[in-house]
This record gives sequence, structure tokens and C-alpha cells, in this order.
Amino acid sequence: MVKNSLASIACFVEKYNFTDPAEADALQNFKTTAETMGHKFDFMFRENLLAIPKYDAIFIRATTDPLFTAYIVSKTAWEMGLKVVDDPKSIQICGNKIHLYALFKKYNVPRIPTVFINKDELHHKQILDIFKTFGRPVVVKAPYTSFSRYVEKAACETSFRDVAKRFFRKSDILVVQKFMPTTFDWRVGVLNGEVLYVCKYMVPKGRWKHGAKRRGKPSFIWGRTISLKRENAPMKLKETALKACKIVGCGLYGVDIKEIDGDYVVVEVNDNPSIYAGYEDLRNKDLYSKIIAYLAD
Amino acid sequence: MLVVSNIDLTTDLPTMKPSTFLESSIKDFTLNINNDYRYLKTGYYVSLHAEILGNQVIPSSENIIDAYRTPILLLRASKAGIPTTPYLVTGSVKQIISEFNFPVVIFAVNPFSYNGFKTAKNRSALYRAVKSLGMNYKFDVCAQPLRGEMVSLKSIFGRCELNGDAGKISKEVYDVFKIPICKLHIQNVEGKAYLCGFQPLENEAVNPRDLETISTEISEISKNGEKLVG
Repeated sequence: MVKNSLASIACFVEKYNFTDPAEADALQNFKTTAETMGHKFDFMFRENLLAIPKYDAIFIRATTDPLFTAYIVSKTAWEMGLKVVDDPKSIQICGNKIHLYALFKKYNVPRIPTVFINKDELHHKQILDIFKTFGRPVVVKAPYTSFSRYVEKAACETSFRDVAKRFFRKSDILVVQKFMPTTFDWRVGVLNGEVLYVCKYMVPKGRWKHGAKRRGKPSFIWGRTISLKRENAPMKLKETALKACKIVGCGLYGVDIKEIDGDYVVVEVNDNPSIYAGYEDLRNKDLYSKIIAYLAD
Repeated sequence: MLVVSNIDLTTDLPTMKPSTFLESSIKDFTLNINNDYRYLKTGYYVSLHAEILGNQVIPSSENIIDAYRTPILLLRASKAGIPTTPYLVTGSVKQIISEFNFPVVIFAVNPFSYNGFKTAKNRSALYRAVKSLGMNYKFDVCAQPLRGEMVSLKSIFGRCELNGDAGKISKEVYDVFKIPICKLHIQNVEGKAYLCGFQPLENEAVNPRDLETISTEISEISKNGEKLVG
């Protein structure tokens, strides 16, 4: 049971969470903040899952997906009545862009023009119709995309079929969106219906995504992150982010938003948003204490 | 009631193909019949689409995800009073050996393997099983002690060809997860059955007798409708 003071929090992490010093520092900031606030904060690895019932709350920092161990940790904790960030419903929705965009459409969230394509219904005419509607190129996304992976441009039927064929190996439905290039995407961090932090995720020069694969190499090149004080971010931006989060739940989210001609359109709502020391927290240092307080509440 | 099925059914009720339903916006209680409901596959998307439309649906997308994740299957089944064996989610052979005596049964907990399980009677067999099902130790596995005999059975709306404990488990798993068609893995220990795992049923495994069972159940559900949604 969660107590008002001295909550016992487990942070589920994997070894890769400590490979980037900025992420490792952020994790240490969470631990230090929690302990300063009087709570117990332990890192929990895959080998310690039997210890889940010993804690009051679970904070997941390992990559989430309904098919990953992180979902098992989240659902197990949820079934045991623990407070969980990310909760299993948020993982289910944010981990599948088909689910997310269908909810955006249902609840009229401003979004990038989007269609779904079904593995069994991929015909020449359908591809031509998509190019006619959205122009060229279009963006093809696998539903399980994260960290800019499994998102590719296609400007002709051959490349469209090539990308779709690869992504259809895992999912029977894919997302196709209008290509809307911008020099940056807004990232709005939201916790329990309140804005936590606001950043600009810049797109590297000559690329079209914040994270782009180096040509011929497996590694990624990332654009700069510019942090703003949340009070200084445009009100309409923050309202758009909160509206998008409301349809997912009341956990911790990172909302990607494009600004086009003064309007804001939501790219996606991510559960388990990146929090790196010196980046997302640069102008909003209280994000650590707010997240810990939410977990301990 | 709307029946969406990838199987050619013998029912008199109108049925719709999954691809047609996914393009539609029909608002009605939806019964999703599919031999394979795995996450990211068409059977999953049919239930998800029905939920987005606001329809009550059998099975729910949440139940689909949970049933196919062995540790969550066992956790929720156990909470519902279904007999299960102890389990351990880990990628460590040493941890399995420290928790359970041989033999053990290993299920995959990764995004790519869904079929079956491996049993290990000794340390080297366990290393091979964990390496194979954990995809070179990248993912965890779900380990359970093997105390009896593993039995796999076909479950159609909770009905199976076995009586006794196994038949009871088949019904109870359906009551909890409401997955109409699946294969269950059960362990028989001294005359008592324990749930161990869950997987999709191959399309070819659905025989004319199963089709009759499905038709009977569809008729029953069409009479009782939403009351049967868990």
C-alpha cells in the first residue's frame, strides 16, 4: 500500500539505460531526489522481478512495448495494486500507432493526415490513391515505432512496397502519413494532466527526423534539444498536448507536435518519454520531484 | 450481433471478413472469431477496431495481449482461482536452477516466438532452451517446474475434448480471457491439471466438429449478447 511518506519505489531499467551518460545521470537524479524526499528508490533489473510485490510503486524506464518485459512488469504491478508509470493501458495505446491514431481520429485531436493500410488490401490503385491524396513522398510507419526507428519515406510505388513489405513482417496493418517537414518537433512532457517540461527536438541538417540513421552505419545521429521554461511555451501548444494525453490516460507522456503555419498538429503521444540530464530537465529541474511525488502519492 | 471471422463458418448468422470489418464503422456487439489473435495480427486489430468504434467485443484487445504473455496469463489465471504452477521471468539460467529443480519447462517471452515450449532435464538442455527461446539471451523466458506430463489441447469457446481437470481449466480460461479459439498447454501432475501456457491454433487444426461447436456458441451468444462479455 502506498504511504504518504517513505514510499518504496522500484525503477525498472535495463543495462542499456546506463550506456548514455546523460540518461544515467537522469536516473541518478531520480534516485537522489526520491531519497531526499524521504522515499526508498531502487533500480530493478530483469533478474529481480520477483521483488515487485515488495514495493509501493514501479517506475519503468526500460523501453516499453506490449511484447517487451516492461509490459510484464507494468501489468504484474498493476494487477498487484501498485502505482505504475507507465501503466499497462498507456503502454498498450502508445505502443501501437494504429491504436493511437484511431483514438486521435475518434476524439478529433489535431493530427497529421493519416491512413491505415492492411496487408491483404495493398493494391497498385490504393498506393496511387495515397500519393494522390498526400503527395510525394509519404511517411510509412510501423505501429511499433520508437526512437525514430521503423519510420521511412517513400516517394514511388517500388520504395513504398519495399518499406511496407518489411514492416508487414510484424504487423498486419501499417500507418501512412502525409510528409510534413519542419526544422524541429515540439516535445511536451506531461504528467497527470499537467505540463512538466517543453523542448524543441531539432532535426539534423539535411535530415527529416530528430533521430536519423547514419548512412551505411547502424548508429543514429540526433538533433539538438532546446529546452524552454514551461511557462514560456505557447499556451495553444500546451493545450494541444494536454488534449492528446487526455485520450490516453493520466500517466507520464512525451507529446510530439509539429508547428505548421501557426497551427499545432500532434505527431504522437509517447509513453516512457526520454529524460536525459541537461536536456529535458534543463529549464524545468522540478520534473524529478514532480514524478517522484506522483509515484509516492 | 456482428460476427467477424477469418474462418469459413457454418452458422446461419451473417458473418464479415476481417478486412471488410476493418474498413467499416458498424456499431454493434462484435464477436471476433479468429484462429490467431496475436498482438499486431489481424485478429487483434479486429477487436481493437471494434473497441475504437465503441462496440462491446469478444475478445477484448487487453485480454488478447495478456493471454499471449505467459507470465500475465498465469498471474491473472491464478487470481481467478485457476490452478497454475510457480513461474519465474528471467534471462538467467543460474536463477532458474536456484529456484526450481529439474526438469523445467521454458516458454518464450519475446516479441517473435509464440509457438510451444521447451523442456530441460539438465543444465546443458536448459542453457540451450534459454538461449533459443530468449533469442541468444536478449529476451527473458518464463520458466516453470515440470512435475508431471505436458498436454496440449484445443479450446473452442472453453470447450475441449478432455474431461476432468483439463476440461475445467479450458472453461475457466475462457471465462477469464474470453478468447474463443486457442491452444492451451497444461501440466498433469498426479491427476491434477495446471495451466502452463497459451498459443494460437493453426487454421488447419479447426475441423468440422469445431465448426459445429463454433456455430452453436455463436447462436448462444447471439441470444445472450453483451451479457456474456467479461
